[in-house]
Amino acid sequence: MMEPITTLTPTQTEALIRKLTALADDEIILAHRDGEWTGHAPILEEDIALANIAQDELGHATLYLDLRRALDGCDADRLAFFRGADEYTNVRLVELPKGDWAFTMLRQFLFDAYEALWLSAAQKSNYVPLAEIAAKAVREEKFHLQHTALWVERLALGTEESRRRMQNALNELWPHVAQLFAPLPGEADLVAVGILPELEKVRASWESFVLPHLTEKCDLLLPMVPAQAQEGREVHTEHLAPLLAEMQSVARQHANAEVW
Amino acid sequence: MTQSATDTQWPRWEVFKQDAPNRPYQAVGSVHAGDPDHALLTARNVFVRRPSAVSLWTVRESDILTATPEEIAARAEVLETPGEAGTYHVGLKRTHKRSMTFVDLVGTVEASGPGDALRQAREQYPDALTWLVFPKSAVVRTDDDPGTVESWFAPAKDKTYKQQQFYGVIGKHVGELKREGRMPQRVNEEPHVGEQKVYDHPHDKAPKVQR
Repeated sequence: MMEPITTLTPTQTEALIRKLTALADDEIILAHRDGEWTGHAPILEEDIALANIAQDELGHATLYLDLRRALDGCDADRLAFFRGADEYTNVRLVELPKGDWAFTMLRQFLFDAYEALWLSAAQKSNYVPLAEIAAKAVREEKFHLQHTALWVERLALGTEESRRRMQNALNELWPHVAQLFAPLPGEADLVAVGILPELEKVRASWESFVLPHLTEKCDLLLPMVPAQAQEGREVHTEHLAPLLAEMQSVARQHANAEVW
Repeated sequence: MTQSATDTQWPRWEVFKQDAPNRPYQAVGSVHAGDPDHALLTARNVFVRRPSAVSLWTVRESDILTATPEEIAARAEVLETPGEAGTYHVGLKRTHKRSMTFVDLVGTVEASGPGDALRQAREQYPDALTWLVFPKSAVVRTDDDPGTVESWFAPAKDKTYKQQQFYGVIGKHVGELKREGRMPQRVNEEPHVGEQKVYDHPHDKAPKVQR
C-alpha cells in the first residue's frame, strides 16, 4: 500500500464525489427493487432475507454518502429523495423492474459478486476513510453473495420451469453488466494514485468467479453481447422515473419534515 | 412428521444458535428450506440479523425426537423409538417463561437410538419440562473459519440501532410513564373499555352473563 492520502486536489475531490455518488446510487436503487418484494417473496424466510439484504445495501449507500459529506457537506436524504432520474447515476442493471424471483436473485448475484470484489479491492485504498468502510461492508456482501449464488444454482438446476426462468433472466440482464466496469470521468486519476481499485482488475476477478458459476456449475448459456457498456450513467431506462416517483413520494409531500 | 400429498411446504429445520464461545447452543426457532445449505443461510438471515452469534446449527425437524413428562406417561413406547445408534445431542426446556430461546443443548449421550437417548436424557435431567434429542450426524453447521464468522456473524454486533434508545422518542418515554404508574403491569393485560372487560379473543371464554 502507498502512503495514506490525506489531502485531495480539487480535481480529485470532484472525481471522488462523482464516484461515491454513483456507488451510493447503485445501492439505493437496488435496495428499492429488492424492497418491492417485501410481503411478496416466495416464502416468509426469503421475504425476511431479501429485506435484510435491501437494508444492508441501503446501509452501504449511507456509508458512501457519509464519505461524500466529509468532502462537500452534502445531505444524504436530499440526494436520495430530491434528485430526479436525470440526476441519478446508478447503472441500468439495478433499475430494471424486479421481474420474477429468478430475475431478482440473478441480478442480486451479479451485483453482489461485483460489490464484494470491488469492496475487497477497496480495502487496500490509501484513502483511509474508503478503506475503512470497505472493510466493514465487504463482510455483509460476502454473505449476500453466498445466498444469491445458492439461489441461482438451485433455480438453474431445478425444474424445467425454473431453469427456463433463470436462463431468461440471464439473457435479459447480461447486456447490462458491462456498465458496472465502466470507469467514470476522472476515475483513472484516482486509480493511479491508489485511491480507487482498478475496474479492469475487479472485472477479471468477477469473471473468474461468476462465469464458472453460471456456465459450469449452473449449466446456463451466456448470451452473446458486446463487452463494452453502450452509454454512461446519466442515461437511464424508462423504469427509473416511476421508481423514483414512488420512492420519493412521501419525502416530496412533506419536504419540510425534519427526519426521514 | 407425516406430510400429506398436497403439502408443498419445504421441510422444517430447527435452528440452534450459539451466542458466544463456551455458551450452550439454544433453540431459537425454525425455518423452512429446500436443503441443508439453504436452511443455514435463511437461519442466519432470520435469527442473526441483530442478536450476536458465533455459530449456527440447523437440524431437520424429522430428525428430532421430543417429549414432555406427560407425553411419556401417556405413551411410554416413545422411549422405544427406533433409529441409528450413535451420539445424540440432548436439549432441555426448563422454564415456562417465554423468551427468544426455547431449549438449551446440555450435552450428548451415547445411545442405541432416539428412544434410548430420550430415556437417558430423562434419567439425567428428571426436572425438565421437555426433553429433546437428535443424532449428532443430523447437525448441519456453519464453518468455524474466520471468514465465515466475519461475514455471517460479525456485522450483527455492529448494529447499534437494535437498541431501543437509538430511536428518538415521540411523546413520553416509557420509563416516565412507568414512574407515573400509567403503564399496564402486563403487556397481555386483558382489554377493557371503561369498567367493561372486552372478550374478543377466540380463546377467551366469555361469561354467559356479563352485566
